Amino acid sequence: MNPSNPTNPNIESLAFNDFPLWKNNGSRPLFAIDLEITARCNNNCRHCYINLPQNDQDALNAELSLEQIEKIAADALSLGTLWILITGGEPLIRKDFEDIYLFLKKKGFLVSVFTNATRISERHIRLFRDYPPRDLEVTVYGITEDVYENVTQVKGSFRQFQRGLNLLLDNKIKTNLKTTATQANKHQLIDITKFCREKGSAAFRFDPHLHLRFDGNEKRNTDIIAQRLTPEDIVELERKDPARMAALEKECTCHDSDSMEKNSHSIDRLFYCGVGFNDCSISHNGLFRLCPSLWHPDFLYDLKAGTLKDAWEAFTPRVLSNHAHRGLTNRRCMACPLKDVCMWCPAHAFLETGDLNGEVAYFCEVAHKRSEKKVEMKT
Amino acid sequence: MNSKINSGSVYVPSDEVVAREIEGELIIVPLTSGVGNMEDELYTLNETGKDIWSRLDGKRNLRSILDQLKTEYDMDSQTIEEDAKGLLEELLIRKMIVEKRSK
Ligand code: SF4
Ligand code: SF4
Repeated sequence: MNPSNPTNPNIESLAFNDFPLWKNNGSRPLFAIDLEITARCNNNCRHCYINLPQNDQDALNAELSLEQIEKIAADALSLGTLWILITGGEPLIRKDFEDIYLFLKKKGFLVSVFTNATRISERHIRLFRDYPPRDLEVTVYGITEDVYENVTQVKGSFRQFQRGLNLLLDNKIKTNLKTTATQANKHQLIDITKFCREKGSAAFRFDPHLHLRFDGNEKRNTDIIAQRLTPEDIVELERKDPARMAALEKECTCHDSDSMEKNSHSIDRLFYCGVGFNDCSISHNGLFRLCPSLWHPDFLYDLKAGTLKDAWEAFTPRVLSNHAHRGLTNRRCMACPLKDVCMWCPAHAFLETGDLNGEVAYFCEVAHKRSEKKVEMKT
Repeated sequence: MNSKINSGSVYVPSDEVVAREIEGELIIVPLTSGVGNMEDELYTLNETGKDIWSRLDGKRNLRSILDQLKTEYDMDSQTIEEDAKGLLEELLIRKMIVEKRSK
């Protein structure tokens, strides 16, 4: 029998997103964690904000061990965490990926995995079939060898990607597809979109906002900036496919109205978004951050020296309130009517300018161009 | 009711789910394929369900659990029995509990 919804009144089934604990009931459980288990990757994408070479010994040595992850997970259980996203770098290049995945599953977390799919093997398929992930998310950099490998800069990666993706899809592993818009693949974006939709990815995502490096690597940052779509590129794509471009709306989940409302009291604070309310990020070397982009040294907590419980219960409220005195001095952005659709925020400003209140001309141009276009399209 | 549930049997949570208590709620998270309908489906038990679940300790058979429930709940015996068996049947169909085999 394929069980449908329960008929007994004592049991209720709920999709994760409908889970009542996600509603704000005054408490602050840590529901979701982005766990970057490595910063290394077998690809070398031009636009990537994190990738270090696969054989980078320092990055490898700094990675959280399985035991350290187990300790973090034990705290996460007690803090009410339900969902852990395993990400990287490319998480599948870790030799103990399977152990980490199974450990988290068996503890009762819903587990998602972000992967480039090039390393998917029959063994992974068995693992995901026996212990299903909440979902996998695979990025499609291109649908032809030349475009894909122009982005990844690794010969042979397209063939591996195709093989891995087909294995996932043929075995009906729940896989969402997304792409990242860069100068290297922009001429193929419409076809990539079609490909993703034909492969049945209902949750197709499209991300044109290339973040700068977590490690501040200047050469790589120059490459990333060169890969960014121009404001004109973005509005042009938007014109061609308005439905898809709806996905271009502010990417940060923390900008949903619920999260913003929680922080509506915080106009004089540094963070006006929903950071610190129910999720966090953990870097490959155990640095706890309130969001994936927040790399300012004052807002990092070293989990190798402390605990997730302390990071969440003591450090996070301190970051959110004690830094109020630093406030938002960028009055121009604070007063801006486009603020909520613009990529500007203290975390991104710090990555771009080294200053939490710095102004970012690129974000400003994109926001203005897009809003002009929207007005034009409405009239 | 043509129940698969047997009062003489001992039922225990199955290895195919993980039960967690979060903020006072008992959440059953499917671990293996074929337990839930969707990969991100969770199950919650209400207070009565949670109480029954907590008694599935592998030591008591259902009859003894029912006897205890009948002394503790201000409800007629038949309703208690039907409710508890109905819940266990649902849990059994969903592979969330199994019948413990005697050694
Ligand atoms: S600090 Fe910035 S990047 Fe981080 S969650 Fe808030 S708006 Fe998003
Ligand atoms: S960067 Fe420009 S568009 Fe964005 S919030 Fe600031 S002033 Fe507004």
